[in-house]
Formats: sequence, C-alpha cells, structure tokens
Amino acid sequence: MVSDTLYKKLSARVNELSKLPKLDDQKSIPKLIEENGFSRREFMTWAGTMTAMLALPASYTPLIAKAAEVADRLPVIWLHMAECTGCTESLLRSASPSIDSLIFDHISLEYQETIMSAAGWQAEQNLENAIEKYKDRYVLMVEGGIPHGKGSHFLTIGGHGKTGEQSAIDAAEHAAAIFAIGTCSSFGGVQAAAPNPTNATSLSNVTSKPVINVPGCPPSESNIVGTLLHFLLYGSLPALDAYNRPKWAYGLRIHDMCERRGHFDAGEFVEQFGDDGAKNGFCLYKVGCKGPYTFNNCSRQKFNEGTSWPVQAGHGCAGCSEPDFWDTMGVLHEPLADRLFHTTFGGLGSDATADKIGLGLLTVTAVGIAAHAAISAVKKPKE
Amino acid sequence: MIELIEKIEGEAKLNFSFAGEEIDFVDIEFMTARNIEKILEGKSALDALVINPRVCGICGHAHLIATVKALEDCYENIEISKKAEIIRELTLTFELIQNHFKWFYLTMRPLFGKKQEVLKATYPTQLMAKAIAVFGGQYPHTSYAIVGGVVCDITEIDIIKIKHYIEETIKFFETNLVQADTKDFLVCDNVDKVLKKNGDLPDILREIKKKKYLDHGKSYDRFIAFGENSYFTKGKSHKTITTHNISIDYVKEQDNLNSLAKNVTYKDKYYEVGPLARAMINKVPLVKDSHRRYGDNIFSRIIARVCEIPQLLNHSKELLEKLDLSEPSYIEPNIDISQINASGESAVEAARGSLIHKVELENGIIKNYEIITPTQWNLGNGTRENLGVSQQAMVGLKDVKTAELVFKTFDVCSVCTTH
Ligand code: SF4
Ligand code: SF4
Repeated sequence: MVSDTLYKKLSARVNELSKLPKLDDQKSIPKLIEENGFSRREFMTWAGTMTAMLALPASYTPLIAKAAEVADRLPVIWLHMAECTGCTESLLRSASPSIDSLIFDHISLEYQETIMSAAGWQAEQNLENAIEKYKDRYVLMVEGGIPHGKGSHFLTIGGHGKTGEQSAIDAAEHAAAIFAIGTCSSFGGVQAAAPNPTNATSLSNVTSKPVINVPGCPPSESNIVGTLLHFLLYGSLPALDAYNRPKWAYGLRIHDMCERRGHFDAGEFVEQFGDDGAKNGFCLYKVGCKGPYTFNNCSRQKFNEGTSWPVQAGHGCAGCSEPDFWDTMGVLHEPLADRLFHTTFGGLGSDATADKIGLGLLTVTAVGIAAHAAISAVKKPKE
Repeated sequence: MIELIEKIEGEAKLNFSFAGEEIDFVDIEFMTARNIEKILEGKSALDALVINPRVCGICGHAHLIATVKALEDCYENIEISKKAEIIRELTLTFELIQNHFKWFYLTMRPLFGKKQEVLKATYPTQLMAKAIAVFGGQYPHTSYAIVGGVVCDITEIDIIKIKHYIEETIKFFETNLVQADTKDFLVCDNVDKVLKKNGDLPDILREIKKKKYLDHGKSYDRFIAFGENSYFTKGKSHKTITTHNISIDYVKEQDNLNSLAKNVTYKDKYYEVGPLARAMINKVPLVKDSHRRYGDNIFSRIIARVCEIPQLLNHSKELLEKLDLSEPSYIEPNIDISQINASGESAVEAARGSLIHKVELENGIIKNYEIITPTQWNLGNGTRENLGVSQQAMVGLKDVKTAELVFKTFDVCSVCTTH
C-alpha cells in the first residue's frame, strides 16, 4: 500500500527529529500543552484536524501529534519586510486548541519581531546568532514584500541600516527551507500594486534558493502552521503548483468548494447587495466574487477557528492569494467578465487548474462562468 | 546614542541625545515606507475597500470603516440603515478590544519584567476576532463594509454567538485583568480601589508606584479625538478644559526630514491621541481620577487603555440590543459611484487613536487619497524647540530603557505610520 510506505517514511523522519536536541531544555511541548490546560483528547482532536487538512488519512493522526510534539527541534526565523503585519496577526489568533500558538510562541521562534521578548540591538544580534547557530537547519519564514533594487531603501532595518532585501538574502542563504508567508512575500502583494512605488517584489525574486509560497492576504493560521507541520513530517518540500504553492492547501479553487456553488451552477446570482438573492445565499459572482480564479482552501478551512469566510458573510472572494493581487483582480464589485481569459495562469483564467496549465482544458464549469459572465458584462440590471 | 525599538509591529530607530545625565532630545526615525496613497491613485473608488485594510494588519478594520465613511462622505445624500451603522460600530469596537489585550500582554507586561504570557493575549483576541468574523467573514482584512451598508445578513443565531463571545471576554477580563465584577469596575472612580485589587492590571500599576515611575511619560497634557460614534465623543482637552468644537480642516501633515513618517498637528500643535485622550474627552471617572493625581503619565495611559476594554464590552452589549434584524443591511446609493465628482473625509477611533481618511474622486476614480494614522500624532518627530508628543514624554528621563517603556505606552505602530 502506498500509504504504508509513506507512513513508514514519515515515522522514520519524526523519530529522527525526536533524537535531536530541543531548542530549550526547560520545556517540552507535551508539558506546555498540559500546563496550558489542554487535555490529551483536545490535542488529539487538533492533530486530527491538521491531518485532514494535509490530506492524509485519519490513521496518521498519532503521527501528526508526534510531529507537533517534536516541533521544538526545528528552529524558525521569521522576518518582517514591507507588510501590514496581517500574517503575524492571523497567526497570533490561531485557533484553540492553541497548539499552533504554543509551537510558535514558546518554542520554535528564534526571531519574530512582534512577539519575541528581545528587542533592539539584542534582537538584531539574536538574528545573526540564530543564523549562525542553526546554519542549514532553520526554517525561514518571510512576511511582506521586498522593496527591491532601486527601491530597496524604502525598507531599512536594524542599527546597521541594512536593507530588507539584504537581510532576506542573507537569511535565505543558509536556510533549510524557505517559506514566503502571505501574498506580499509570495508575489509582491498590495505593496506591489501599480504603480508599485517602492518597487516591491516577491521573495523568490531576490534569492536564487527555492521558495515555497504560502499566499493569502492574510493566509489562514492553519495554512501557516500546516506548512510548518508538513516540513516537520516530510523533511522535504511539498508538492507544488505552478506558482510554488503547496498543493495540499492551494490545489483547488475557492469556487470548487464554495457553499454557494450550487447556486452558481443553477444560475442563481446576487444581482446587487441586499437583494433577495443576497438574503437567500445566492452566488456572488456578479457582485465581484473572484473565487473562480483563486486557488486556496478558504472555502474549506475558513478563518478564525472555522467561524466564517468572506463568501459566507456575503462578500465575494477578492482573489488575494493570486499573483498580481491587486492588479488583476480589480474592480472589486464587478465580475472579471470580459477579462475572464486574461487573468491568472497566463491568460488561461478559470479554465486552468493548478495542474492543467498549458492544456487549457475547457471544463464544464468554465463554460458556465463564461456564459454567466457574458450576461453580467452588461452589468447588473438597473432602472 | 541610537537605540532600536522593536516589537512595535515593525521597527523604529530612536536616536537619543543626552545633556549630562538626562535625555534632552530624541530623534525618532522610521525607515520604511510603502506609499499606499500613491497605489490608490487612479484606481476605482471601491477598490480602496480592499486595499486600505491592508495598510495595517493590526487596525485594518479601522481602515476599512474609515474608507467606507470617507467614500460615503462624497455623496450629498446617502442613506445607511441603523442596522448597518450598528454592525460597523460593533466590529470596530471588537477590533479595539482585542488590540488592547494584545498590547497589554505582549508589549506592556514584559517591559515590567513579567513573563510574556502569549496565551493570555491570544485567547481574548481570538474571541473578539471570531465575533468580527461572524459579521465580516474573516479577521484580519475583511471588506464586508461597502458604500451603502454592509454585506452580511446575520441571523438570531449569529447574535447568540456574538453575545457568547462577549460574555467569555468579560469573564476573561474579570479573572485575569482586574479580579472584580466589571459592573463595579465601570463605575469605579478611585484609583486606590483598583490598586488594592488582584489581577494583572493592578499588578503593573503597583509596580509603577513601587519603581517610582509616576513622573514618567508626562507630555503636553493635550489630547484630541476626532472619531465620533455612539460611544466616543469628538473633542480636545488641555489640562482639564475640554471643548468639542474641532474640525479636521485644521489638521496638517508635514514631511519629516529624518524619517519616512510624516508629522501631524492640529492648529500647528502636537496632540496626544489614543485611549487616554478618549477617556479625558469622554470624562471617564477612573481615568479622570488617575489624571488628577498623576497627570498624563504612563500610569494614566495604561489604566485608560485597559479600562476601555470593559467599557467597550459593555457598550457592545447595549448596541446588540438595539440591533433590528428586519432592517436592510444595504441600501443602494441613489447615484452610482462612477458618476461622483467630490471629495470626502472621515475619522474613526482606532485602538491607538484617531484615524483620518480623505479622498477626492473624479468620475468615481481616486484622484487623491490621504491617510493620517494615530501613531503619526503621537510620535511626531519635532524639533528641539517644538517636540512631538512622545519626544516630550521621553525628554528628562535618565536612561534609554525607561524611555523605551514610555515610548511604548503610546503603542506606536510602525506599520500604520509607514503606510
Ligand atoms: S463565484 Fe464565488 S460565491 Fe459563486 S460559487 Fe464561486 S466562489 Fe462561491
Ligand atoms: S476568500 Fe479569497 S480574498 Fe478571501 S482570503 Fe480567501 S483567497 Fe483571499
């Protein structure tokens, strides 16, 4: 059985990790979890959720739990570039059971500006020390776009006046794995929207090392933590789509798992906010939903402990996890309509899936969108 | 002597100069800029609803509400249902509350040598974020408020959920911050009573007294708040004199020679914004008592911010009671925004103080956009002759460690500042 070989491979990796020294001898993750009032059962529930998210069979749950318990063997360095700190914020309110925050706050983070206890020169030195001490072992997570080249002075940090670009390059040099957290770091994001005054760009554009993109503005806490867990488990990089996004999280379109999808297929649309369609939970395509062009698991994973997600609240997806967000996703409340085939994936738009780029397979859905788009190209019916 | 200040959601460089034993000037530099205002130019008006929350991941919701209000201000007549108004105010209030918790636990307490208890910050924060998500779909970065109202159509069940989040947060406050019944705490007008209580707040307040920090962090005793809603009043206060007759017209932004952040003044004077300012203008009894005893120092600043948590929680319960679900969430504006040639402005109270947005539209396209953030007020990098608010509060101190503490009581947010 395939999954049997995989299981063996992953357990070997976790066992190996457990032999490595902990970053902090004083604490252990199981103890911390217990101290913070989480029962074993709650922890296992959390592990179960993570297992499902990583698209692994439920029988892997104990393995995921073990991986989380040895997370304190994995040093993480988190850098802030040109950003709004939304990704950190998203992480900081990661859901309970707060094993996510436990991993991030108490153990792994060697350097994280917002929550680390060191500050100033001390912090700068911690960063250098961490890079040195954990050379070729640490995971680098970068939040924010990188003002680049002639614009790089727009981000100068530290007492030595280093540019953000330089810090990112230096930290990337000896990282075991590099994750661009959020759309800004993955693709430039809002900071890079036209006319891109600071010449902001993606992390992958400033380093030659492989970068895994974890876009979203912000990405959900589960995608951030899941990325880390995945690395813990596999010790290698996940399967990626054409934009270097892990397929386990970004393999499907928002639209594919959307709760309003039935209405889309039935041609039932919200024509304008506040109408009967809106009250009945009809599809938001005509009021600007970019779900058909956007690859992410928001519709499945949701946000804030699974409380909700934009489409559930009645607002279309803004397409925040795609390259060139914002430039290819405006106008906000209008369907992309005639621009349907000039957006994501080099013009293939919604008829491409992460796997089928280049093939240009016209799926039934895409035909459906095109038909509806043609209707709404004339805009909503008005007096 | 240059000191780097981290953990202000970004970074600032403080360049201290000493005269003998005392700090006599501090140059505050921010070395990052993103130029969001430039990015907004030429875009469709409504695009600002997605772009602006991304000015700041910490108070992104305040940016959303400020944006929607500035755009609505471009209309001569626009009708917003009471329901939409209340929902917008609720989500903004929840954002303030969760922010205060984070500031207290992540930033303030460790500065007093206390252990950083991250979970104490994240637990109530999650509750409030979930309450926002029920209305807005996600937090941070929702765009659920639109010109004409809000997009959500919530049900009674949603209201029950939100009430539960509020009650849980109140419980957290009562067991951790101040071990007392919030109702008593709300009417308390005597600092001594708070000092006698148990809890993480009195703990720090006692520490300030013990360490003889009571004269730390005094600035001009000049406060201002522009954001008005059903809880906050707009106005300014100097010493104990309060007036409500203020106008955004007198707010001026100036370039800063040494820093990428701009200074902001009202009638050419620096003013403090934030929870202490709001409490002075709203005349909150406990904060007035603290101010009467100790002035505009770090003690008053901390008590004002934490005190706002139960006030706002209580107020949001009242707001929920007023919510009539049968009203429309959205009323279509009588003119399409693409036909609008006008300018508009707005002010809302964000966690750290007044946030101002100004927009100019030409056929629905953004000609000009101006954002003035709370920290720009407090960190104004003035000259030796005319010091900014936080500069004034740091001058006279004897070491950079205490200066950093004082600086952080203003909760300077570099992200917002360097928009
Ligand atoms: S267009 Fe948007 S709202 Fe409609 S089904 Fe697709 S993702 Fe859902
Ligand atoms: S629903 Fe769309 S806009 Fe919202 S977070 Fe997900 S990908 Fe981004």
